[in-house]
Amino acid sequence: MAAFFRSLFRLPAPHPVLLENRELFRDFDQGRPLGEYTFVVCDTELTGLNRRRDEIISIGAVRLRDLQIVPGETFHRYIRPRNTDPNQATLIHRITPEQLRDAPSIEDVLPDFVRFCGDALLVGHFVAIDMHFLNRAARRVLGGTLSNPGIDTMRLARAYKEARCRDYYGYCDQSMSYNLDDLSREFHLPRFKPHDALEDALQTAYLFLFLLKKFRHGGIRTLKELYRSGRTLDRIF
Amino acid sequence: MIKSSGTKGPLPAPAAGKSVSRAAPPEVVVEFLRNIMPFNELDEERLRQLARHVRVDFYPRGTRLLTAGETELTHLFLIQQGGVRSYIVDDEGEVTLKDYRGEGSYIGALPIIRGTPANLNVETVEDTFCFLLPREDFLDLIENQPGFAQYYLKNFSEKIVNTAYTELRRHRMGRRSDEDLLLFSLQVGDLVKQPPRAVPADATVQEAARAMAEYRIGSILVYRPENAKEIVGIVTDRDLRNKVIAAGLEYSEPVARIMSSPVIRVLSRAVCFDALLKMMSSSIHHLAVEQKDQVVGVVTSHDIMLLQGNSPYLLFKEIGKQRSIEGLYPLSRRIPDIIRNLVIEGAKSSNIARMISILNDNILTRLLTLLEEEMGPPPVDYCWLLLGSEGRREQTFKTDQDNAIIYSDPADEAERLAAEDYFVRFARQAIDHLVKCGYPLCPGEIMAVNPRWCQPLSTWKRYFSSWVEAPEPEELLHATIFFDFRAGYGKTSLADELRAHLNRITGRQEIYLLHMARECMATRAPLSFFKNFIVEKDGEHRNKLDIKRQGLTPFVNFARILALRYSVNETNTLARLHVLADEGHISRDLWSAANAAYEMQMQLRIIHQLNQIDRGEEPDNYIDPGQLSDLEKRMLRDAFEVIDRLHGVLKVLFPVV
Repeated sequence: MAAFFRSLFRLPAPHPVLLENRELFRDFDQGRPLGEYTFVVCDTELTGLNRRRDEIISIGAVRLRDLQIVPGETFHRYIRPRNTDPNQATLIHRITPEQLRDAPSIEDVLPDFVRFCGDALLVGHFVAIDMHFLNRAARRVLGGTLSNPGIDTMRLARAYKEARCRDYYGYCDQSMSYNLDDLSREFHLPRFKPHDALEDALQTAYLFLFLLKKFRHGGIRTLKELYRSGRTLDRIF
Repeated sequence: MIKSSGTKGPLPAPAAGKSVSRAAPPEVVVEFLRNIMPFNELDEERLRQLARHVRVDFYPRGTRLLTAGETELTHLFLIQQGGVRSYIVDDEGEVTLKDYRGEGSYIGALPIIRGTPANLNVETVEDTFCFLLPREDFLDLIENQPGFAQYYLKNFSEKIVNTAYTELRRHRMGRRSDEDLLLFSLQVGDLVKQPPRAVPADATVQEAARAMAEYRIGSILVYRPENAKEIVGIVTDRDLRNKVIAAGLEYSEPVARIMSSPVIRVLSRAVCFDALLKMMSSSIHHLAVEQKDQVVGVVTSHDIMLLQGNSPYLLFKEIGKQRSIEGLYPLSRRIPDIIRNLVIEGAKSSNIARMISILNDNILTRLLTLLEEEMGPPPVDYCWLLLGSEGRREQTFKTDQDNAIIYSDPADEAERLAAEDYFVRFARQAIDHLVKCGYPLCPGEIMAVNPRWCQPLSTWKRYFSSWVEAPEPEELLHATIFFDFRAGYGKTSLADELRAHLNRITGRQEIYLLHMARECMATRAPLSFFKNFIVEKDGEHRNKLDIKRQGLTPFVNFARILALRYSVNETNTLARLHVLADEGHISRDLWSAANAAYEMQMQLRIIHQLNQIDRGEEPDNYIDPGQLSDLEKRMLRDAFEVIDRLHGVLKVLFPVV
């Protein structure tokens, strides 16, 4: 059946790295204590927000083990876009056309990134967008999507702020910004330079670490509980 | 996701290789190490190598990082952001603060070097991010890197162990010499030079005098004949002079006839300052020193005066000796100097405030006594009420006058007119003299000279009732000033009766307390201000902190509301909290936190005002956070956080607020 669809859409057979990736998550268990998981916090820079046309031009990522950020294990690549005029990128990111022209293609970078992620959960701020573009590229390049579950720090931040102001004052001001920069300022996190995939990934990692420990302080021990805390919000929004 | 264009320099050339491990360690770690001692001595290559081994962890405020004698260290903590405090707990559970450490400091070097478990308890006092350098890497640096061992070991030996208050004082006020500390370090028991000398109550006056001569002492204790351990009185030189010789009493009379009884006692382990306060507040010169329920000796005011030069006691005595009101003017102006000495000597702020109010009370008492002598006795009994901070015994320097007169209800119209006439004149003169003593007028005219606040008891009761029944904003404001009243001079029973009335009416009026609670909670802890301040180091946030309104008033209001609710008669905030804790209305834990928070802020305020007086400025309550040390900032932060806890209690008591 899958082979039939694959031939129908002229998709390549799954790349070995993808098969490996699927294997890693075959028996994924959400019930383990948070400290037993590895997390990869990532951020992608794009040529634009068009879900069908735009492309990833850089990926930054850093790993967390034992609920600690491991700055020695980072991933940072620029990617040469296929279709977009490289000059356009300079307008958005101030990445020079030369930098993008000399960069490897997504075909080269993506398998590296999937290997870097390994059995980790993917964490990002508004992770759905990163996942969309990664998976779109993965379908084309690797013949399928990543199996790594995603965790959205924006949603966690919302759950955290909601819980916190409920405890204190009984009502909750939801008009606040959930932008990474604003949250970092609000929670008084060490600050990184914005608009660079690795720096943003580190900023997100600090946010994630902050929220994770705050949640743990509040009694959340397993991944399942963490998901549940974020999900209660779906009912409100 | 897409990023809006930002300002950013040229990017490094993209890494084109395939190997995952090629990524350089984030600049943030290298940059951090490059800027702290002694890592700044290392070359770039070594820094990068170390940075690759570092991990980042986050510890929410209040996380215990190390437990003395237990935690084995697997890494050195380097504080990227936030702060920790280290402390030890002795066998009796007493906590001694050792140190605060902030950004760029390390934790755990000594135990790693010595190969022992943690030597201190360490706890985060803020949300804290740390870089963790593995133990092996740290030991390698200590062994192989010149300067490292020296840096850490030197720091240990130089580390001055200080409690928070010592640090606070040292930072703010110069110390004169160690002798100044005697009043606070010496215990009363240390002053006792000989065992207690006593005679039985049925001994004759002459026998008592003979014993005093034999022992060369100025006073002798008197015990119940059946039990030599039971001290029932004391006889002093002055008693022999005034009550025997001058009065022509027979020397064969029993000593019980002239003794003062009972004997005021002080605990042997109390500091001398406490004994001094006790003598001054009860106007006596001899205290029996008590140890385990036994009297072990006597201390006199003279013993204590010998300990100090510019003494509050000397001033106290001079006030009592003044024969003219004008003579009081210069005396009251000496109060700041005396208080300065107490601050330098290390008095707790609550004791300082008590001392200030004792001295002010004495000036008032002397002034009104002399004024009464001048004007003739009043037609009816009266009581001079002290209100607001004076009523709470929480004045610092030269706070505005807040006072009122309450007098007995006149029996008839003639007496009413006589009373009105007398007290109007009396109040006018009293207020005038007080201004000349240096107590400024109350801008809100809450003074006895205002006819509205010079009224008979029945009118006062009516005032209070109407405020409680119809709590409008103005009435609530009145309540915060008037409900903290206490008797300053005159017939105390009038004040007591008014207090009893207030307790009766507030007990019935929950709605009134609710309004007060709402007002109280409208003032939120200035935490955000402080947080910003800690973060913003560029000095942009130059706005000052009103430590009275933002920091202290929430405690005062809280204590008042609960005191009214539970009919606690104390007016002093710390005393109110103490009673509330004793009676179980608030937890011990909250009480001690509130106590420490309040004391600390009072201390800061008193020191701030003393410095202003030194510079010839008018004392105020505006503290520039830029002038505070790291330690003071942290302590202030801790203090503000207690406010949230107080509000929590109010929310439980008044759920609709």
